[in-house]
This record gives sequence, structure tokens and C-alpha cells, in this order.
Amino acid sequence: MPGYSAAEQFSEAAAWDLFDANARVGSSGVHGHLALDRAGLLSEMDRFFIRSAVVSHWRGEEYDAEIGNLALAADNDPRFTPAWAALPDRSFVEALEARQPRAVRITPGTTQHNFSLRSWCAGAVLEFLQDHAVVTLIALADIGWTELETLLQNFPRLPLVLLDIGYRADRYLFPLLDRFPSLHFDTATYLAHRQLEHHVQKRGADALLFGTRLPLFTPASALGVLASAAISDPNRLAIAGGNLRRLLAEVVTRSGRQA
Amino acid sequence: MRSPIPVMDCHGHIGVHPDFPAYKTDCEAMLAVMDALNIEKLAVTSTLACYNDCPRGNPEVEEVLRRHPDRFLGYVTVNPNPPGQAVAELERWSAFHRPPLIKLHPGLHKYPVHGANYKPVWEYADQHEAVVLVHTWDSDPNCGPLLFPCIAKEHPRARILLGHAGVTWRGYMQAMEAAEAAPNLYLDLAGSHHHRLILEKCVDRLGAARILFGSDMPFLEASMTLAQVLTADIADASKEQILRTNFLELIRG
Repeated sequence: MPGYSAAEQFSEAAAWDLFDANARVGSSGVHGHLALDRAGLLSEMDRFFIRSAVVSHWRGEEYDAEIGNLALAADNDPRFTPAWAALPDRSFVEALEARQPRAVRITPGTTQHNFSLRSWCAGAVLEFLQDHAVVTLIALADIGWTELETLLQNFPRLPLVLLDIGYRADRYLFPLLDRFPSLHFDTATYLAHRQLEHHVQKRGADALLFGTRLPLFTPASALGVLASAAISDPNRLAIAGGNLRRLLAEVVTRSGRQA
Repeated sequence: MRSPIPVMDCHGHIGVHPDFPAYKTDCEAMLAVMDALNIEKLAVTSTLACYNDCPRGNPEVEEVLRRHPDRFLGYVTVNPNPPGQAVAELERWSAFHRPPLIKLHPGLHKYPVHGANYKPVWEYADQHEAVVLVHTWDSDPNCGPLLFPCIAKEHPRARILLGHAGVTWRGYMQAMEAAEAAPNLYLDLAGSHHHRLILEKCVDRLGAARILFGSDMPFLEASMTLAQVLTADIADASKEQILRTNFLELIRG
């Protein structure tokens, strides 16, 4: 019987090569009581056997995209895959291209970077992301289901990762997953009773990416759900990190870059 | 992942939900999860009663208690409307448990927990030293945690569980403030917002004796809250209080 510690409860996760699709680093004006610097984030990842993480910077979300990207570059770590902030401006697309991005996190809400994801506004940046298969993160609250459907329709080859979908999402999510194989989502808030398990048993594991919502949420929750799900080991490994690694490898393949 | 000690779970349901498809909600599927995680007993309320119809919902709990008396405990769920129905339901189902376990959902019933129609319920709870699980939500005008100190002080023999402990970070802060103001208020950990460090703050401020494990099964996934408790940076003895002994002591007659 395992004891009372993350190491004892989740020792099996050491072999899962966990890759967190939903983490942020740096100071936060809203969540300062929970924000973590690079060392703090790495320490929390270690505690829960998380080997790698796609990481965005609070500054790029709460303040200016380019200033945030400079902060993200400064706080980067070999275990992080930076999720750069992105704007629709053509000049910004050029700056983004110079970073050779593997992932971006888009925050278009009116109280964030305040732009439309329709082609007339963000067409250039979205075409770039699609052409280079850049893994594109966006939180459900920052786009909504209707705009998401339009985005997927307009850019069907864009590898999109919907974050923080919540546990009430399935009636919206399933029809979109049926139509758009490029759509993925993270598990940090996919937390209804046996929801992840049911999803895998009925629909397979391809769309699910392990996510924690660090530094806001404890990784224990998402890890507990993954560890206790009655699913096969290959499916558990795919969710733990295999699916995300596959997506990130596509960036290299499609853009012709070196790994 | 599995609890080292058998868990007493203070927050569960029987039924489904209108706003999303619920999975594996039958008793046998729930028992399989309880066995896997080492949850010995789950205290349940009827979801039909929470959403729509208490007189038709509470019999669902009776049926579960009849089939699995050693694994489930039953809350009587009551609605302040129509007036008079709540105490009638409490008396009708008084055999569920002694002391009575009562569930209130002011959020779904859209009536303030300190409103006049709840007064007979609080008087009944005080008179019978009931354990009352109440849905709470950050700053909600019907069930915000800060509404409860007055109720708790007026009904000192009722033991009131602040369901979900207000849910959000701010809700937890309100729940802690409320519990500091009245010794018969307790925090139930069931919820989907498992903020890092929040449980440690609760234990630091209130002590572990005022905190209870709740899963919200089969609405929310039990393993997430269990994992939060098991991996928290608190003493093992505190974890055992939260996972088991606190609820056992509350429901003891």
C-alpha cells in the first residue's frame, strides 16, 4: 500500500515521460500568490514526475506580447517548450518566425490582446502557424465554441490545443472532434467522474494531452485522474506525453527545421 | 494511486446531470471506483432532488441505502419551496441516519440560505444535531460562505459543512473566514478548482479537524481530490483526519 506522499502515490508516473501541455511561468499581476519562477516551476514538476512542459509567460498574456516573449526567452529552460505569445500584426509574424516557434499561446480576448481570429484580422499569423504546424494553444474562455468552430473550419490543418475546457464540454467537444482531427485538448480541467476514462474507451486517446494548469492548480489532480483511469498502458502513455511529442515533432517535419 | 486508509466521503450523489453527460453513474460503477481508491463509505444526495423534485428524489437514496447499507450514507435533500415541504421530507426520511444528514442546495433552488423559508430547516437541524451539507459558491447571494457564520451561531448544535468550500480561491478564503467565526462550520473539499497550496492554507488557518474529504462522485472525479489530499504538504495525521476520522466523528450519534 503506498503511503502519503506524491513520490509514493505516483511512483509509476516516473516511467510515463510526462509532458505538461498547460503551464505558465513568471510573475503574475492576477495570480501573484501562486506564480512560480523557473526554479519553482521545475521543482513542482519534479515533485510530480513531470519531465517537460509547454510553458507560456504570464507577462505575454497579461501585458505586452513581445515583452512577454522576451521574458519567456529569459526564463526558458531545456525542459520547457516555449509557447510564445502571438499577435495578428504582420510585423509580429516576422518576429515570431525568427523565433522558430514550436508552440504559441494565443490570447485574443477583449481584455487581453483584443483581436479577432477571423481571417480578415488574424489570417497572416494563422496561415503561418498552420503552414509550419506550430502547436497553437488557446483557452476555451478566450475563444468560445462558436469562434472555435469557425477557426477550425478556416484553418483545418492548424494543430490546435484547447486549454481549460472544463468538465461540462462534451456536448460541444465531441461534434468538433468528429469533424476536425487537428483539434486536441488538455486534461487539467477534464475532471468529471470517469470522464477521461470514458472518452478513451469510446473515442480513443489521440486528442487528449496531459495538462496541469501549473502554477494555479496542483498537478496532483490531473495526475490522479490519469493514474486511476481504467485504460490501457499505451493510451496512458499517449496522454501522458506521446501525443504532444507527436504534435511537436510535426513542427519540425512540416517546417523543414532540424529537431 | 490508493488511499492508505479507508476513506469516509462526505459528498456524493445518486443520479445524472442536465448540463453535461454523466458517465458510469450506477451504484456498481461507483462501488468499483470506491474499491479502487479505498473509499469505504460515500454519503449521497439525490441529484433529482437537488435539481427538481425532493419528494421523488429522496426515495432514490432510500433504494441505494437498502441495497448497499454498508457502503452508502444518505442525506435527505430538502427545498425551501414550497414552504412546509422541507420539514415534512426530513420527518418522512428520518430513518436514513441518526443524527440526520441534510443536504441543501440554495444555488439550484435559487433561494437564499438565510431566507425565511429555510428557518424551519435550521431549527430542525439544531434540534436534532444534524450534519448539514450546503452547496456554497464564492460570493453567491444565495450560498456565499460569508452568509453562514450568523446561521451557525444561531444554530450552534447543527454541524454545517460548507460544500465545495466556496470553490474558487476567493471562495476558499471566504470559507476559511466563515469557519474562523463559528466553530460548527466545516470545509468540504469536493470541487474542481484544486488550487496549489490551498489545502495547506486551510490546515494552517483552521486545523485539520475542520476539513473533510468530499468527492462529489459521480459528478466529479474522486481521484483528483484524493490525490490533492494525499500529496499535500501537511502531516500524515492531518490527512487521516481529513480523509476519515473527521466525518466519522460528525456522523456518530
